[in-house]
Amino acid sequence: MVLLQRPHILLLLIDTHQFLQCWIAFGSANEEGQQQEEFSEELLVKPLPDHKLLAHFHFQSSAPPSTSNGCHHHLFPKAISQLVQKFRVKEMELSFTQGRWNYESWGGFDPISSSNAKPPGVELWAVFDVPQHHIDASWKNLTHTLSGLFCASINFLESTATYSTPEWSFPPASGNVRYGTLPCEAVCTENLTPWLKLLPCRDKAGIALLLDRPSLYRGFYHSQRLHLTSTESKQTLTVVLQPNSERAIEVHASEKHVQPSWSLSSIFGKQVSGRCVLAKSSSVYLLLDRGLVAELKFPNKENGKSAANGLTSENFWSNPSFELSVNPDRIFLEESSSHSKSLSILYMFQVEKYSESEPFDIGLMWKVPVAWLCQQTPLHASRFLMGSGNERGAIAISLKSTQFTEGFMSANSKDGSCELRVDVLQVVPWYVKVYFHSLRVFVDQQPRAVSDFIEKIHVSPSKDKMSPGVMEVVLKLPCRVNTAALTIEFDKGFLRIDEYPPDANQGFDIPSAIISFPNFHASMVFLEDDSLNRSPLLSKFQEKCPVMSYTEVLLVPLTTPDFSMPYNVITIKCTVFALYFGSLLNVLQRRVAEEERFLKAKAAKKTGRLPLLLSKLSAKLRGRRREPLHSPPSSSSFINSKLVLKVILVAGLAVGWQYFFS
Amino acid sequence: MAEISEAQDSDSSKLLDSDSKAPQRPDSEPEFDPKLMRKSKPGLKRLFLTFSVLFSFLLGFPFLWKSVEIYRFPLPFREIDSLSTQLRSDTLLFPLHFHALFVGFDSDPDRLRRSILSEITKLTSQNPKCSDNYTLSVTVDLGSRCLRGPTSSPHSSSYQCGSVTAAAFVQNDDVAVDERLASVFGGKTKEYSVAVVKGGSERAVVGKYRHAWMVVGDGSDVGMAAVKVAEVLVKVFINGGREEGLIRNEFMPVGADGKIVLSFNLLNADPHDWVYDWDFEKIDDTLLTPMIEALGPVANISVESQVLYHTPKASFSYWNQKLESYVFSTKDLPFFVNSNEWHLDTSIAAGGRSKILQFAVYVPSAKECPLLLQLPNGEISKTNGFISPMWGGVIVWNPQGCLKDSEFKPSAKNIIPIQDLENMFEVFIGQFRQLFGFKSLNVYTNASGDWNLLPSERGLTEWELDVLSWQHTCFNLHSCATTLGSLSRLVQSLPRMIIKDEIGKQVKLSLEAAKLALSNASSGVYESSAASSSQARSLAEDAFFDPSIMSVSYYSFEHCFAVYSPFFLPVSMHVVLAALRELKRYKQEKAKYLAWKAKANTAT
Repeated sequence: MVLLQRPHILLLLIDTHQFLQCWIAFGSANEEGQQQEEFSEELLVKPLPDHKLLAHFHFQSSAPPSTSNGCHHHLFPKAISQLVQKFRVKEMELSFTQGRWNYESWGGFDPISSSNAKPPGVELWAVFDVPQHHIDASWKNLTHTLSGLFCASINFLESTATYSTPEWSFPPASGNVRYGTLPCEAVCTENLTPWLKLLPCRDKAGIALLLDRPSLYRGFYHSQRLHLTSTESKQTLTVVLQPNSERAIEVHASEKHVQPSWSLSSIFGKQVSGRCVLAKSSSVYLLLDRGLVAELKFPNKENGKSAANGLTSENFWSNPSFELSVNPDRIFLEESSSHSKSLSILYMFQVEKYSESEPFDIGLMWKVPVAWLCQQTPLHASRFLMGSGNERGAIAISLKSTQFTEGFMSANSKDGSCELRVDVLQVVPWYVKVYFHSLRVFVDQQPRAVSDFIEKIHVSPSKDKMSPGVMEVVLKLPCRVNTAALTIEFDKGFLRIDEYPPDANQGFDIPSAIISFPNFHASMVFLEDDSLNRSPLLSKFQEKCPVMSYTEVLLVPLTTPDFSMPYNVITIKCTVFALYFGSLLNVLQRRVAEEERFLKAKAAKKTGRLPLLLSKLSAKLRGRRREPLHSPPSSSSFINSKLVLKVILVAGLAVGWQYFFS
Repeated sequence: MAEISEAQDSDSSKLLDSDSKAPQRPDSEPEFDPKLMRKSKPGLKRLFLTFSVLFSFLLGFPFLWKSVEIYRFPLPFREIDSLSTQLRSDTLLFPLHFHALFVGFDSDPDRLRRSILSEITKLTSQNPKCSDNYTLSVTVDLGSRCLRGPTSSPHSSSYQCGSVTAAAFVQNDDVAVDERLASVFGGKTKEYSVAVVKGGSERAVVGKYRHAWMVVGDGSDVGMAAVKVAEVLVKVFINGGREEGLIRNEFMPVGADGKIVLSFNLLNADPHDWVYDWDFEKIDDTLLTPMIEALGPVANISVESQVLYHTPKASFSYWNQKLESYVFSTKDLPFFVNSNEWHLDTSIAAGGRSKILQFAVYVPSAKECPLLLQLPNGEISKTNGFISPMWGGVIVWNPQGCLKDSEFKPSAKNIIPIQDLENMFEVFIGQFRQLFGFKSLNVYTNASGDWNLLPSERGLTEWELDVLSWQHTCFNLHSCATTLGSLSRLVQSLPRMIIKDEIGKQVKLSLEAAKLALSNASSGVYESSAASSSQARSLAEDAFFDPSIMSVSYYSFEHCFAVYSPFFLPVSMHVVLAALRELKRYKQEKAKYLAWKAKANTAT
């Protein structure tokens, strides 16, 4: 490309009669530009066994190590370069994920899944190029900046209780790394738009045109990633979508295993009208993975090596079992892999050739039903909670052999004692108080001594409200192991009332554990002619990255208080106090003697009627033998004489009445 | 009421009580009325008990008040007020020294001085914000000897007689004259000199340093010259050549932390047609760095650049057959900047409160090329650009290819020719000057004639920098005073807002810096005055935007009331009512006792 362009430019310059000086400036700048900032866009499409489709967008910008102090940019996003400069980030990765990568059916042993399958929510790790005691400050500033840049609540990772410092078990970069996750962060277009803004063409041209928001977010899995080094920014977007062609549904009844046919326009609802003019390379790949290739029975599969040499052979893309709507520009065959018998095939389509009048759209039509399995991780990891109640529980990480990889596992063993190394990194928030002594290992469902299988363990206990608990374990399991499980018990802690999130009853997330297999490397090496013009995506595939998988996010219900409780407590307590004070004062004020006198007087006064009636009653009952009583009042008073008279009168009346009636 | 009636009842019980006792009593006191009198002294025990409870509650209140009190650092409200009143009432005075030199005139320097001074006072509009305190010295150079005015500054007295002659002004090379005068007057002194030379073709020039000169015809009047001298002193040296004094103070595009980020953007409207790149590093070194260094005392400027693609403009343009180009008019300008697609971005490298000035070069797409800006009077703009105050500037640059409808076929990547780029950046520097309120023209036109302004290769001449520095100081001090004033008003209006020590410290430091700036300004130390004024402003802004002010941790009085009222309301009711009741009863009983005593006394 470069060689072709150069004469063209020269002609142009002569035409426009520029100054010589200008020409020099032009030439040199162009030269610099060529080796300076570069951008490439790629898309990889891969059919998945469960009738789904994986689309993996890979955008890569690179800049030379900053000469101008990172102030002047031509292609490389300014924001990213300033971020790297300001916080002195050596390496950083940020991912926004929605949905869970299905390791069983979508595979876990290929470069795509081991580096692009991410835990749900936000995951951020960063390595800084600053002295040890400045790292935490840099991390805080970085989280705030990223949170502003990507419209996400990454700033919650600022507090020391939310991020951890794995010592050696975090594969991307060990030592000095800060790692934090936000499992319940919702990911949506407002995170994608700023991410797209970092691309020179945004979604205005090139492959990114396909990023139609409704179709993307309808998918089963969506992970948007930004990986930075000081000179490079890799942006990938991995989506798993369901091709929904009508034909597939029709066929579905008769033939169950026919894969749905698809085309880019049917999945995304858009087509690629030409490349992004700023991209150095712009290509779309279709990957048929090893399992599928083995199933497809290419005509000259038997002499695989010769097929690799004769790439022009049309047999590779006109296959009895499927049909491609566009002829691929090139076909890559994987170099022999040690892990598998069959080799995967990569079809490359160059977008450069297409334009707005003739948009690019590949389609794949399946003719016969195919069923295959993706290559899986040596052990399938899952994690669950045990126990019930709000007091304590246990976390169990279970590893199940997938059988799939047994072949190369035995190949891996040098001598008789074949061992499988598994690294486990588990971060637990501080309110889940893990008892590390309660770690138990079950191998093939038998409880075994911890020291037999754990080669190395590093534990940093959690500090309340300060730091999360981190457990890093290296397990050495025998290759023939069927299942293995780690369990660890915990107590549920109490939070202060203001530390609960608004939706406290939903439960609290325990971030995914990272299970990695450092002895296994997922890499795909494709035969390429020119090593100079190598595609960034393919060179990424060639990198030996350890196989990694994330477990599920756990949801721990904690005891949540009634949030109106403090006020209830206050009111009840105050009422009790008020009662106490009231009665105390009453008692203090009381005049016992006076009250008695008062009562007596009252009784005497009231006698007026009641005792009289009583006496009347008794008189009536006993006949007239008894005299009406007039003991205290009649005897004493000279003021009450009226009363006494009244009493006597009434008594007399009563007597008369009695007498009269009897 | 119940208690009172009860008390009466108890009295009546006493009455009964005394009734029963009455027969045993001697008949010495026949008038004894138990309803109104009592013989024993009323007891104090219960009264004392209830009141001790009440007082212990009252004593507890200050402790409670103290315990629910929130921390408020005592801010120096009075000092803040005094600063703002000081800035409002007696204006900031910058001492200036003017020197007028008349060569070839034979007049009395004192008379000249008086006439110039009267002209100056006529011209000086009463500026409410910042003003100056000038001294004027006049020298009349007669070649062999000098006539000096009675008041002369130390600088002007150092002027060597006869060093400026009319012969030096004969040549038409203004730059050379400027350099010559600079060596005569001493380019570094803080004195503004105007030389009036008789003889030669009429010319009036303002130099790059702090002086101006005019050549007048042989027969011209010295009075006219004095008017022009006064004019140049006031309108150019004091006001910076602007029409309306210092009105645009509030448009000083300097961030609160004294920083400016110049963000240059090259916008390729449609990269499918052509993609242009620029060699920014080179232009940065040659054109921008000198200007940035010159502006050092006023603002700390940093530069960054980026190239953006797919950035169409948001307004429409129309094909103009006569001009053979697309034209957009000034009324489209508000819509030209497409904030959806031009993701110019705030800079991460810049601190929180730096001012970012965006400068954009717009490369139109093939459909709208060449694109020209039509001024309201129908002419085509020479710079093809415009500014937006406090935001930045935009230039439309039409690539070579579309100007002539030739077979020019641009390749994928082009570089803007260095000549065009230089022109573009000269326009940008002009725009930058405009953003600071200076004119981008080289001529200052006035009622009494034109003054040529010599441009400096640094973008800003020395006298312009001086004006900027005063203006900056003045603006900073006023902004500091208003910020502190609003802070104190805010703090006083929210009595339950927590104010941390840091805020108090920042306010104090800011006040100190402001005072220092004021005293430095009045003693004529401009640089340190500018520095401490910007420090005062940034500290005031820091205090005002302190995150703890924004925090939710301030809790309202209602909250406090809601927590404590369930306890204090019922308890205080009990305590207060009991105390009242006891007091009332005690008074009653005491009155009875006194009544009896009086009776008894009269009886005996």
